[in-house]
Amino acid sequence: MRKRVLVIGGGHAGVEAAIASAAIGCRTTLVTPDISRISLMSCNPAMGGIAKGTLVREIDGLGGVAAESADSTAIQFRMLNTKKGPAVWGPRVQSDVTAYTSSQRAKLEEAGVQIVQGLVTKLIGPEKKITGVLLSRGIELNAEAFVLATGTFLNGMLYRGKISWPGGRRGDVSAVALEKDIRKRMFHVKRFKTGTSPRIIRSSIDTSCLEEQISHDMQFRFSWSSRAGVKNRETCWVTRTTGETEGIVKESLEKSALYSGRIHSKGPRYCPSFEDKVTKFPDRTGHPIHLEPMGLASRVMYLNGLSTSMPEEIQEKIVRSLPGFRNAVISAYGYTVEYTCFETGEFEKTMRLKRTDNLYVSGQILGTSGYEEAAATGLLAGANAARRVLGMEERVPARMTSYLGVMVDDLVTRGTDEPYRLFSSRSENRLNLRQDNADRRVFSFAAKLGTLSKKKTREFKIREKKYSKLKQELLSRRYQGKSIEEICKRPEVTPEDISEIIGYDQASVENREIITTLVLDMKYAGYVKRAEKRFRVRRRYSDVSLAHIKDYKIVGTVTIEAREALNKKRPGTLADAEAIPAVRQADLDALVLYLMKNSVSRET
Amino acid sequence: MEQQSDLIAALATPEAVSAISLVRLSGKGASAVIEKLMKLEQGALTGRKRAVGDLAGIDYLVAISWPLGKSYTGEEMVDLMCHGSPGTAARILEELEKNGARLAAPGEFTRRAWLNGRLSSLDVLTLSARYTAGEQKTKHGDLTEELSELTSELEGFIEFSEDHEVSEEKQITLLLEKLLNRTQKLVVSVRNTEILPRVFIMGPMNAGKSTLFNKLNGKEIVVVSRRAGTTRDGATRIVPFSGRLVEISDSAGSGGTELDSQAYELLERSLKSGDRIVWLDPSCSSPPGKLMEQHEVLKVCSLSDKNPGKCKPGWLVLSSVTGVGVDKVIEFMITTHWESPSWRMQRMVGLLEEAISASKGHDIAMAAEIVGDVLREADKPQRYGDAVERALERFCVGK
Repeated sequence: MRKRVLVIGGGHAGVEAAIASAAIGCRTTLVTPDISRISLMSCNPAMGGIAKGTLVREIDGLGGVAAESADSTAIQFRMLNTKKGPAVWGPRVQSDVTAYTSSQRAKLEEAGVQIVQGLVTKLIGPEKKITGVLLSRGIELNAEAFVLATGTFLNGMLYRGKISWPGGRRGDVSAVALEKDIRKRMFHVKRFKTGTSPRIIRSSIDTSCLEEQISHDMQFRFSWSSRAGVKNRETCWVTRTTGETEGIVKESLEKSALYSGRIHSKGPRYCPSFEDKVTKFPDRTGHPIHLEPMGLASRVMYLNGLSTSMPEEIQEKIVRSLPGFRNAVISAYGYTVEYTCFETGEFEKTMRLKRTDNLYVSGQILGTSGYEEAAATGLLAGANAARRVLGMEERVPARMTSYLGVMVDDLVTRGTDEPYRLFSSRSENRLNLRQDNADRRVFSFAAKLGTLSKKKTREFKIREKKYSKLKQELLSRRYQGKSIEEICKRPEVTPEDISEIIGYDQASVENREIITTLVLDMKYAGYVKRAEKRFRVRRRYSDVSLAHIKDYKIVGTVTIEAREALNKKRPGTLADAEAIPAVRQADLDALVLYLMKNSVSRET
Repeated sequence: MEQQSDLIAALATPEAVSAISLVRLSGKGASAVIEKLMKLEQGALTGRKRAVGDLAGIDYLVAISWPLGKSYTGEEMVDLMCHGSPGTAARILEELEKNGARLAAPGEFTRRAWLNGRLSSLDVLTLSARYTAGEQKTKHGDLTEELSELTSELEGFIEFSEDHEVSEEKQITLLLEKLLNRTQKLVVSVRNTEILPRVFIMGPMNAGKSTLFNKLNGKEIVVVSRRAGTTRDGATRIVPFSGRLVEISDSAGSGGTELDSQAYELLERSLKSGDRIVWLDPSCSSPPGKLMEQHEVLKVCSLSDKNPGKCKPGWLVLSSVTGVGVDKVIEFMITTHWESPSWRMQRMVGLLEEAISASKGHDIAMAAEIVGDVLREADKPQRYGDAVERALERFCVGK
């Protein structure tokens, strides 16, 4: 009998977890309260963005499915940040929400994942080794390992104005009993919150006065297995808040669930509610609000940028104050959801809960926010759960080669006190963590993890051959007395320029992708090498003992705040010092330099 | 608490009659001492507090206390604002000494600030540069802080400008250019806090040494000081070239008789490592090997207007009369030594220029990476170690 992995939750994390587990060879079951809402985009109907889009491509390189579904259900494509350097380009698509759900469900079925509808009410067995879960209808499901991917459902509470009701999101149940069980088992948990915007009936909006946004004409694909190019199948619009909008919010602030003092948990600083925006920037007006269709020919538009937990009548007023929205009809009101997630320190970088042998966590219950972050951590949790069950070593992605590695490292070593969103600046090796080379960066990890299908591996190796061949050619060529490598280093030189110089055939998408990666690799090689060296130096010292430092005053260049914290907390190693919030990057560098200078004496 | 150094005190304002004088006290027990002398309750001057009253019958004054970690020095610190007469301040200092304080050495407050991480090395150099620049009013602010601010600006621009009407690419370039400008100015000031490079014009008799010396002096004629030379008829001048001060000495010729040759020997012995030599010889015969081994030597074929076309390879053709080659001599004199702080700072200038070109090429991510390098360059403490030590020596007591 093959070993079984059970995934609890059918969102973006759960789906990837189940598919990764199945790919490694475990029988896999996914339990979700509503099988019609698998991988439902509960907030904005879009995938990707700055850093997030890069993560979607990493998921593809690791054998995940989000990229393929995002490609096949895209109704509009935009590349963000095109004027800020190719390292921070952010591919983003508008998705057809319904189509995305069906696509993801089909992927689960293709992978042979068994889908069970049901609400998990408790875990069975001791924490050390969970043996099964109990469903609300009394059925027990058993497995050798488990992945929790409950998103906002763990004791989810929804808030709007004065009212509140239990729910994982609009129209869903809240996993109250399961949360009680988790608390009873003495896992350290915390409460986070997040919010969503009102949805508007499309026909009630007058778009004639609004700025139109259409697809960028670019042959893009998230997945290297997809066909490139998204036609502009839907238009988006941009409107801006008027002074009136902010006025309404300011007047009614005490009516908001967020500001009436009823919610104390932390929300995402970088995806704030509109109430937060108005409070934090009281003088600013004209906040851009993006109108995004929920799907192809959908009759409902999502109002990106207007997340709110105001009472319904205030939401009506707010919406109607927007240009073009005088007669707008709200089809669903915005709300805030508060949910339970695990404290930093409860889980390993493998995504396994430390106190358990076979219980893994992924997605929002790690403290993340965003579909992409959820999907990537889900993939890792599912893969490691399956590996452990099959007696294989668990794997951890490297910080310097992927955003997944950055995120996992941040969540585990630094922790987060608000929903964690990925940014390009979270990586110290940003010029290398680009969207164009995601497959090359994660391939060796994917091979170790065992999640990449034979077909995708074969496709990758073909691309890799082409890359090496073209690299040889570029290295041998000169132009105007300079090597091509040198020319690539100029900031204004693009892959297109190099293609023209060497007369490279740019007709196929694959050729264009390969020369882009190659040219950018050459362009940033020096920076990447130095960033990696800095990182290595620090890592080399990360397990060096600091015990011999009796008083950090001896390290003169450490700031006073850091010194106080270091003297108080007495970290055992440099890595422990890194986890102390008051200790900044510069302090760590100073410590490394101190350790280097005194390396002889520390031998003893 | 045990991390604090002993108690030091000094007059922080000039020793003259004025409206107010400021006496600064820093170190372990600073608050307690003043609380006692002003007969205040215990704790009245602990933390960020203020008290007005009589101090040991000497003066009626204002005392401001700073908490540990938040003061200029990072230690427990009290500023006393007394009436501005030198006598009053002296009596207060005397009283403080009786109560366990000692008079501070020049720059000691700033040194403590530096050691406690309150000021970066670059801050100290900047402060010192502002000091020595005197009336030039070179206000540099805190470059490190500005660099950090620029970094946040860049990151915000990269991550969020799609959501908000943040700055345009052009504005990023402008910000970088502003910073470049300030850094360039700072390089000049920091150079002036460094030990002056000494350049000796040497060579056989009648090689045109004095002609070159006078030519160099006349180039930008600001004679800063004059002091006795090491040679019989030699002269030394401190002359600025492109904002960089250089000490130039005209010296005795080699190969003379009696007095001349004694003077030359004396000169050779007085040379220090790091001194540079401009060796003039119209016949292009090699300078003494000892000089070549121990110093940077610029070989110059002088009097080229009189003997054209006789120059050997590796020698600079110079005519002080027509001016040919003089620029090259100046370049040699002012090229900074690679381990001096200003040379390091010059690297920051180069990096900022790279960042500007990246920003103009629409690669803000690359620009941000380079600004990161600049910041790391600015933050490296030990690189500036010596310069900081020298800069600290320049401060007057009380700073």
